Amino acid sequence: MSCKTTASRHPRRRLVACAATTVAGAMGLASGAGADALRLRADALAETQGTSSPTGLVVLQGQDAIRPWISAEALVWAGARSPHLTGDVLVLTVRLREPHGYVEALAGRFVIATGAVHPVQIDGGHVIGRAPWGSTVEAFGGLPVVPRFGARSYDWIAGGRVAQRVADTVTLGVSYVQRREDGEISSEELGADLAAAPARWLDVAAFGAYDLENPGIAEARASAAVRCNDWRFELFGSQLSPGRLLPATSLFSVLGDMPSQTMGATVRWRAAPRLDLLASGAGQDVAGGLGGNGWVRTTLRLDDRGNGSLGLELRRVDLPGARWTGVRAIGAVPLGKGFWYSSEIEIVAADHPDGRGVAWPWGLSALSWRSRDGWQVAGALEASATPLLRYEAYALVRLSYALGGPETTAPRGPSSGTR
Amino acid sequence: MRMRFTLGVVVSIALAACASVLGIRHDLPSHPFEHRAHVLKAINCVECHADVDRAGDTGPVHFPSEAVCRQCHEKPHDDRPCILCHGEPYVRQVAELARAQLRFDHLRHMGAVHGDCVRCHSDVAEARPETVLPKMATCFGCHEHRDQWAMRDCNGCHVDLRDEGVPPDDHLVHDADFVREHGVRAASARDLCASCHTERQCASCHGEGTVPALPWKLALGEVSLSGIHRAGFMARHPEEARADPGVCTTCHTESSCVDCHTRENVAGAAARSPHPPGWVNGEHGAQARIDPVSCAGCHGGAGETLCVGCHRVGGPGGNPHGPGFTSHKDVHHDVPCRLCHGVGP
Repeated sequence: MSCKTTASRHPRRRLVACAATTVAGAMGLASGAGADALRLRADALAETQGTSSPTGLVVLQGQDAIRPWISAEALVWAGARSPHLTGDVLVLTVRLREPHGYVEALAGRFVIATGAVHPVQIDGGHVIGRAPWGSTVEAFGGLPVVPRFGARSYDWIAGGRVAQRVADTVTLGVSYVQRREDGEISSEELGADLAAAPARWLDVAAFGAYDLENPGIAEARASAAVRCNDWRFELFGSQLSPGRLLPATSLFSVLGDMPSQTMGATVRWRAAPRLDLLASGAGQDVAGGLGGNGWVRTTLRLDDRGNGSLGLELRRVDLPGARWTGVRAIGAVPLGKGFWYSSEIEIVAADHPDGRGVAWPWGLSALSWRSRDGWQVAGALEASATPLLRYEAYALVRLSYALGGPETTAPRGPSSGTR
Repeated sequence: MRMRFTLGVVVSIALAACASVLGIRHDLPSHPFEHRAHVLKAINCVECHADVDRAGDTGPVHFPSEAVCRQCHEKPHDDRPCILCHGEPYVRQVAELARAQLRFDHLRHMGAVHGDCVRCHSDVAEARPETVLPKMATCFGCHEHRDQWAMRDCNGCHVDLRDEGVPPDDHLVHDADFVREHGVRAASARDLCASCHTERQCASCHGEGTVPALPWKLALGEVSLSGIHRAGFMARHPEEARADPGVCTTCHTESSCVDCHTRENVAGAAARSPHPPGWVNGEHGAQARIDPVSCAGCHGGAGETLCVGCHRVGGPGGNPHGPGFTSHKDVHHDVPCRLCHGVGP
């Protein structure tokens, strides 16, 4: 779409035209399909800040499987905060799939992330080829997205990944990505990834990205998890090199390698059918400064389906330059007849506030209603004190309509039905 | 003595109350169906679930009717319908959803297991809502589905995984600190994630310019949704960024900071400098090496000329490269090398 490629002297007119075209396109795709498969959702959100103009937001989502081998989806938002009108296309894709999965192709605007390639939103394509013996070949390419229809330069990204499954339990992959900005290489990485499930109770995953432009490890992460009845233990570790994560065209990428390393563990215990306890702790080495962070969280579901829940979280971060303690409480209670009440409170206190206030409280209370035919209405009050503002308060109202069933955004609770 | 007795009574009552809240003991009237009691009386499953052994992959769920119960329970203890108390409504809903979402044929399986329902429904005696259906691991006990797994071809059993929206319990566990964990888990199997998750779900967090449409911003009432940026993130984001240098860059571009700060009037010509007195001649170099992303957040792009002014070759700022710095770039032609190496003192 031409409207995504360059800036315009008439951004508002362009935005309206572009949003209309995008949504019309998505609707057109959807209307060509069987009615049962069509899934559309529209959200309208209005929020009011005490002294500022109201802000409005409309989010349109749609997906459809036109045939078993073709599907499309779109996510578009447009917002207004007087006198400005803005918006963006987050997703607009068409997916083609060979019925048995040998080849799959995705084209449009989407987030590419595979192997050790960092997530990048692109306008482009992604092709995957698979073989029954566990081989996978991927290739992708496109133009990195410029938010909100901003001007483009000569940027592009391309890469691929080859992976092989070994002995049904291990997958090994090698990936490569190159990205250019204004014709110059801004990132060139070679990555390796591993996933293994040698037993039903054990999962291991890891990846590492090696910077080819300024040679060295840009990022590495690993995680090993063990499950045993109501317990789950996870060991994790990571290394990040901030200078290598910056584009190689940035002046700040030449300052040298001062990686930060993290090593920690998380444990989850289902103490009772409706009670989960989680704890996590990690030691960190940030450029020679030692410290750590940890949190404890408990969640009590109010019924077996996890419809209502109460939760409490305590968190402590103790690193040079970042020492703070936080507490967060959540509550969601079904009131019956489709009504829900929910509330969330967080208080953060920095050890060295440096004139930014003793504590930064944040709270939200919401009342929502959901009908059986897809309508949702929610109203909320949000109030907070931040390092910059003594207090601020918002009122938020959301009206949503889902055609073809509700959009699943996240599981409600572990006992709410699992495979 | 009386004090201890009173305390004991209070604790007992509290525990009893907690047992209900924690899900250890279920409240009346509905409770899990007493499968164990029926099995112990040697009642075959198909005596109540009539014709389930001949059921195809469509049709109704084979729950017993009131009349079936009363064939044995001729004088029930209550006039109300049995299902009001015996068996939880949720279990029926799960079974009905599974009927609609899974392609499963009891008829073909009954022969293979010789009529032994418990081969698959092994946890039925536990009578917990989450054990009403066999786990996928149970299916994999007989069916390897190796090729289908490799080809991400789930349609043989699942009608529409994206529509199903049921989190996996015994494989690909979405548990504990999954927001942190999901990146490394997805690295080797992003296409597997895509068999359930839509592109929208990735872009809702990872896309450029997504902030207005973040899932938890729209889902006002879904306080249990996890996410890095939720609750009072706006207040604590400088602390979060300092605690894990570079982590913001894994999703955000270097200009994200200054773009947002300019919109919110935090940065710009009129804003005060966030640096302490003596910053330039003090620790700015050491801090820049620890977290160059923070520097780039404000001084990136055109702002780099500020650094070049002092750190160009022969400039008063000296060599900015850290120990062991290497690069394949051409110092006289490539960006950013030429900014300093391409100009004279």
